[in-house]
Amino acid sequence: MPSSTVENYLKAIYIGTNSLEPPQRLLPMGQLATALNVTPGTATTMVKTLAESGLVEYEPYAGVALTKAGQKLAALVTRRHRLIELFLVQVMGYSWDEVHDEAEQLEHTVSDRFVDRMDAMLGRPETDPHGDPIPNAEGLVKPQKLQTLLTCPLDTKVTVTRIIDQDKDFLRFIEHHNLKPGEAISVEERDPAADSVRVRRSNNRRLTIGTKAASKLLVQAVHVLLLVLLSSPVWAQATPRAEQPRTALSGYMDFHFNNPEFSDAQLDFHRFVLLVTHNFSERIRFVGELELEHAVVEGLEEKGELELEQAYVDFLLSRSFNVRAGMLLMPIGIINERHEPPVYYGVERPFNDTFIIPTTWFEVGAGVHGEVGRGWRYRAYIVAPLDAAEFNAEEGIREGRQKGSEANVSKPGVTGRLEYVAIRGLTLGASGWSGKSGFQFQPVFDVPVSLAEFDARYSRRQLELRGQFSQVWLDNAGRLNDALAIRVGVNPNVARVLRGFYGEAGYRVISHPRFGEIGTFARYENFDTQFRMPTGYVGLPEFDRDAWVVGATYWPDPDVAVKFDYSIVGNRSTVIQAPNSVNIGLGWWF
Amino acid sequence: MRHALLSFVLLVTAAGSASRVDAQDAQVIEISAERFSFNPSEIRVKAGTKLEIRLTSEDTMHGFHIVGTDINLELPKRGRGVASVTFQPTAGRYEFQCSRLCGAGHSFMRGVIIAAE
Repeated sequence: MPSSTVENYLKAIYIGTNSLEPPQRLLPMGQLATALNVTPGTATTMVKTLAESGLVEYEPYAGVALTKAGQKLAALVTRRHRLIELFLVQVMGYSWDEVHDEAEQLEHTVSDRFVDRMDAMLGRPETDPHGDPIPNAEGLVKPQKLQTLLTCPLDTKVTVTRIIDQDKDFLRFIEHHNLKPGEAISVEERDPAADSVRVRRSNNRRLTIGTKAASKLLVQAVHVLLLVLLSSPVWAQATPRAEQPRTALSGYMDFHFNNPEFSDAQLDFHRFVLLVTHNFSERIRFVGELELEHAVVEGLEEKGELELEQAYVDFLLSRSFNVRAGMLLMPIGIINERHEPPVYYGVERPFNDTFIIPTTWFEVGAGVHGEVGRGWRYRAYIVAPLDAAEFNAEEGIREGRQKGSEANVSKPGVTGRLEYVAIRGLTLGASGWSGKSGFQFQPVFDVPVSLAEFDARYSRRQLELRGQFSQVWLDNAGRLNDALAIRVGVNPNVARVLRGFYGEAGYRVISHPRFGEIGTFARYENFDTQFRMPTGYVGLPEFDRDAWVVGATYWPDPDVAVKFDYSIVGNRSTVIQAPNSVNIGLGWWF
Repeated sequence: MRHALLSFVLLVTAAGSASRVDAQDAQVIEISAERFSFNPSEIRVKAGTKLEIRLTSEDTMHGFHIVGTDINLELPKRGRGVASVTFQPTAGRYEFQCSRLCGAGHSFMRGVIIAAE
């Protein structure tokens, strides 16, 4: 029979590893030493002995886990402990805050026969007085699906199921406030600023507790069976409706340190974006997005920009057909519609989404969108066109965005996207834009612009892969260059074809429930804003560029991203060198 | 009108007697949410099937609201748990949508439960 010390170690490893979040498997030695109130050196010595006995597996500098044999022994010690606790409360009249110490002593002395009799006498219970699961005689535990008061749904009835801290004072606090296992409660509010959680108890009284205490109460949803008898429109109106928040505010911010070669380092508050939504009803919704770029807006100087990037009303008619109008994001590529900083790797957006696809690309217009079934989604809009008078060699069509500011719509453009999302984790997309952009010139001549784009994104657990290809065609580019040369005195050397593509792989190497996640990534990009030139023009090699961007992101919270990357940029020129850069960013969403 | 009244009585009776339901015999539907889609977004079941819908987020907090019902859940952020609800649809189409502003494409987060006879 193992000594009480061995049993205590096995039990501590059992309880400790059960609290780990997958994929973490090994219990850190520091955590084990703290649980047993011994020094890390003492714990390591004992764990090595247990490893030699085949009860645990030990990985230096990583931690410890139980072997199959160790798992069973540990579960049986835990079973003895928890059954004794329940026996002391139910049969001997102990209070639940004084049984732990008694059980610590008795668990090493009682026989298996005694434990089995106790189990039968108590009616083969599944949990002890604190809600901890009691392993059966085979050492197996019925799985529990529990959440803490920090993660359970708001305003939803839940049952207190388990208290994971058995400190006497804490247990007395729980009992005093009617929060013992079995009590039905609901969480009304979480206030991160005050580190507090407000709960409503079964007696309808409210109680505010700290987040630390809230994290120690595990709860289970009380499933309410909703017999929705929507057999007629009359009954549909009589069905109770959820209280929807009518107006909500969200936003994201992007704060960057950029240190490029050949120029000074910069600190830049790149983006401060506020989103607001208002539900007129369940079917009519307004969404707006106001963005301040580079912190300051000053007249006529190249400083920041204040832009209305979205402001539309959605008429949600059905799943397959909905109408929207206002300031719209062009549905092109991965980033333009999905650009919150925590959702992409890298401090800056991909070069392709700056030089080929002019993100953030927004324009006034109207259109339809929906999901037609089996994972196929679409959007199609009529929008204000690009202004070809602003095209240039380095940034292609980027400066041609009218941005909904008294936009010329004599020849509107059209844009659309088709997406396939039926396979879990995979998004395939194809999008396009087409319009005539020569409205600025007299006599008017057409500069038809077309853009085609294909992208794929796949994420599964820690892995994320993405790739994108895009190409832009400008008809009449030669005539456009001639007209602009006359107008501004310099020939802009605009290309007739622009092309770019990139591939990226990212992997979250660390996922820890308390400390967050760390991911690393590498991206290769190729982008050429002078891929094909009009007849009589020669492309400059400095605009045929590629880049490797490698780096890491730390998410202390899923909505906060601390980013680092190193960009190695190259071009085909032997004279003009593209600057590499070190970039650090802090981005968040709320 | 008589039909509506009868249905109302049935609903109240059912809700009153089923405040806590054993979900063990329910069909489990697992849905993951991320900016800006639910997956799967189309769920086909037999009418009258008891469903236990379990939702997880791959990124930020999302909402899950079945239009026309009082089902409106808040999904915890990535890695922070599962939201679940039990739902027993009669024959029909039940559209669901994200009810918590989650980014630029929030309005695209929609789906449907199709309950067929």
